[in-house]
Amino acid sequence: MRLEKWAMGAESTIFKTEQWGYPIVLKWRPQKPYLLKDIDELLKKTRTNRECKMLTHARALGVSTPTVHWTDLENYTIAMDFIEGRQLKQLASTLPESRLREICFEFGQSVARMHRGNVVHGDPTTSNVLIDTKSRLWMVDFGLAEWNATTEMKGVDLHLIRRALETTHWDQQEVMLTATLEGYVNLLGSEAEPALSRMDVIRERGRYH
Amino acid sequence: MPLTCLGIEGTAHSFGAGVVSDQGKVLSNVWDMLSPQEGGIHPREASRHHSDKGPDIIAKALTEAGIGPHDITLIAFSRGPGLGPCLRATATMARSLALKLEVPLVGVNHCVAHIEIGCLESGFKDPVTVYVSGGNTQVIAFAGNRFRTFGETLDIAIGNMLDVFGRTMGMRFPAGPAIEQEAMKGHRYYSLPYSVKGMDVSYSGMLTAARRLQTEHIPLPDLCFSIQETAFGMLAEVAERAIAHTKKGEVLLTGGVARNRRLGEILAGVAARHNARFHTVTPPLAGDQGAMIAWTGILQYTAGDRLSVAESYVLPKWRTDEQDITWRNLS
Ligand SMILES: Nc1ncnc2c1ncn2[C@@H]1O[C@H](COP(=O)(O)OP(=O)(O)O)[C@@H](O)[C@H]1O
Ligand SMILES: [Mg+2]
Repeated sequence: MRLEKWAMGAESTIFKTEQWGYPIVLKWRPQKPYLLKDIDELLKKTRTNRECKMLTHARALGVSTPTVHWTDLENYTIAMDFIEGRQLKQLASTLPESRLREICFEFGQSVARMHRGNVVHGDPTTSNVLIDTKSRLWMVDFGLAEWNATTEMKGVDLHLIRRALETTHWDQQEVMLTATLEGYVNLLGSEAEPALSRMDVIRERGRYH
Repeated sequence: MPLTCLGIEGTAHSFGAGVVSDQGKVLSNVWDMLSPQEGGIHPREASRHHSDKGPDIIAKALTEAGIGPHDITLIAFSRGPGLGPCLRATATMARSLALKLEVPLVGVNHCVAHIEIGCLESGFKDPVTVYVSGGNTQVIAFAGNRFRTFGETLDIAIGNMLDVFGRTMGMRFPAGPAIEQEAMKGHRYYSLPYSVKGMDVSYSGMLTAARRLQTEHIPLPDLCFSIQETAFGMLAEVAERAIAHTKKGEVLLTGGVARNRRLGEILAGVAARHNARFHTVTPPLAGDQGAMIAWTGILQYTAGDRLSVAESYVLPKWRTDEQDITWRNLS
């Protein structure tokens, strides 16, 4: 079995390999020797566990996520479908504005689907949105996702989206944010309101005072 | 003409004056900190401290630099963000000096200054900066002509969390150093709420839990050890997320809390995992001081920045990402 190092995430190393002739990825959370062992073990375990459940749960809510093949909790590894494509982060600056709007609209809808099911993604940056070669949008990286999400948690999710767009896509942030929030509101209607207004409150909170 | 800049810093409880040359040589760096016997910082008291002690600190900075007032060619001051009364007291001194000496004035963003002095010291060109102090917890990186805050605290700053906890334990302000000493003797880990949201952290939950544990007669060293490991582990995680997201090859640790050796060790490990170079700003330049303001003032002035006395009002809520960084030419 060929194991190719495919990507280096914040928490994980992603390997690409094959299973029954199909490409899959292994998401492996390695040990972090610089952390206290108790904390490191607990994080790796809960996040691997959470991610594998949430990838499936989010799909049930209508969000496209890679299919999980197996999970090895002892080795903190999840095997899932390989999505052939690129991160929205890398793609955004290469797309015509109309196409970028469509993708962001769909991103907003995906987040709304999770929120409607009282799930938050937890790290909704454009590194964690993949666009495949057939232009389909996928969400990955559910290690920080949570169930039973409150308005506060949804507001934080939206705040994180806004900040990710401001920092990483500073020259396209208006277009991207507008389209994302339009997609969000399009799906949730008036239900979107509490989380949207919380997003603004949260932004002000951590600021120097 | 070579520049010799006097930088004046006074955004919170510290007042500092530093002299830096345009060659990046720190000629002097003098400061004094208001250390209240009890309670946190009172903005009024701190501003009085600045007005009272400021002139002597500035005089001392000149003496230590071996220069007279007329050798100064530029005055830079911390224009924000910070506590209104402190900023105003500092700005008043900067203005009157600039008028008296007939030299130009520049207003410097305190957070940006922490990054720039770190870059001067390390030679870094484009780092992910972890800026941790009593009032700030930010993960910052340069993108599109601005220093952008990729992550920050959703509630209280890490230094604030340590100070408030320390106060509960009867430690002197700031409590960071005492907590670090205690933590070195601790080894048993008591679980505390670990709260990371994307690239943001939250410390209020762990503060509440730590204060509760304190009433349960857990040995202080173990408690301090647990607080540090949890709080720094959270920072490591968000720093790592920012590095993985931006793909930058340098990591800079700065701010008063950067003096903590355990934090430096953890972030060095994070940087190594991503093959990034790592630097912790040395203690004299890590906290709030005038040299960082002076150096950033030189960078701004050289790029054409000037601030007229008439327009030199302070900016208490000045965001890191609100200033065009005209002196940097990365894209
Ligand atoms: N199923 C997948 N197919 C293709 N690429 C993937 C897949 N999962 C992750 N990746 C790539 O690897 C990167 C890191 O994975 P991610 O799950 O986000 O890990 P981390 O939690 O470490 O950030 C992603 O940004 C993406 O580019
Ligand atoms: Mg990721």
